[in-house]
Amino acid sequence: MKIDHSLPLEYSTEENRLKILGFWIFLGAEIVLFSTLFAVYFTLQHNVGNGPAGSHIFELTPVMIETIVLLSSSFTIGLGVHAMRLGNKKAMMTFFGITLLLGLVFLGVEITEFVTYIHEGATMQTSAFLSALFTLLGTHGMHVTFGLLWGSAILMQVKKRGLTPETANKSFIFSLYWHFLDVVWIFIFSFVYLKGMM
Amino acid sequence: MKQLFPVPHVIGFVSSLLLSLIALIVVKFHLSFTMGMTILGVTALIQAALQLFLFMHVNENENKSALLTNIGYALFVGLVTIFGTLFAMMWGYQMI
Repeated sequence: MKIDHSLPLEYSTEENRLKILGFWIFLGAEIVLFSTLFAVYFTLQHNVGNGPAGSHIFELTPVMIETIVLLSSSFTIGLGVHAMRLGNKKAMMTFFGITLLLGLVFLGVEITEFVTYIHEGATMQTSAFLSALFTLLGTHGMHVTFGLLWGSAILMQVKKRGLTPETANKSFIFSLYWHFLDVVWIFIFSFVYLKGMM
Repeated sequence: MKQLFPVPHVIGFVSSLLLSLIALIVVKFHLSFTMGMTILGVTALIQAALQLFLFMHVNENENKSALLTNIGYALFVGLVTIFGTLFAMMWGYQMI
């Protein structure tokens, strides 16, 4: 394995560079996946049947909390990658840890929101609008849940093995995934919630 | 401690929070549909670009052109999916 010391650890071997490129290609597929779900939502959003419309069930406060928490977690993981490039393992682990905690808070608020909807009689079976809504939000939330497990596993590995080309590469790729989820959320925040409350 | 918080990251974070607040205009004031969608579109796109170029370090990759082509292609397929669906299922149908 040839290690190029002029590059950050996560890019230092050819395999690492290819893995990063490969992950970007995966993110391209994720963009298309979420696009199909947005297309379904935009098509069905007015088909509320006997159920509530978005403007009746959406509440600004939990949505703002989710947005601020996810934006902050995107910031902290950015700082984590920056600390990793400085070779500061402790700071890197702290920032990644904070990121995962914020992810957990996001998920908690989102689950509470889902429970509230269901108590208000807005379930996935109520209308086409709600089926599309829960599918879109649920797919994003599932990605966050998976991210929490993945990120925790990477943190354990960094703790055990330290910052090596391999662990740095995994951490960097995880940061790409996390930023991507933040981008998807920005579009959900804007075109599902804010548009629904307009 | 200070070097752990690089200025571009802090500025990027503060701007993304500000952009989310700006987007709230569409809920707080009565705007036309077009105006509201324009504000949401612009704020969301700037935020996405911030993430992509500042936090995801798109530009530093040695395969930058392959990477941007791939993302561009994915966005193209995504947008055609969304607007093609809207065209076939909503706009076209209602026009007839």
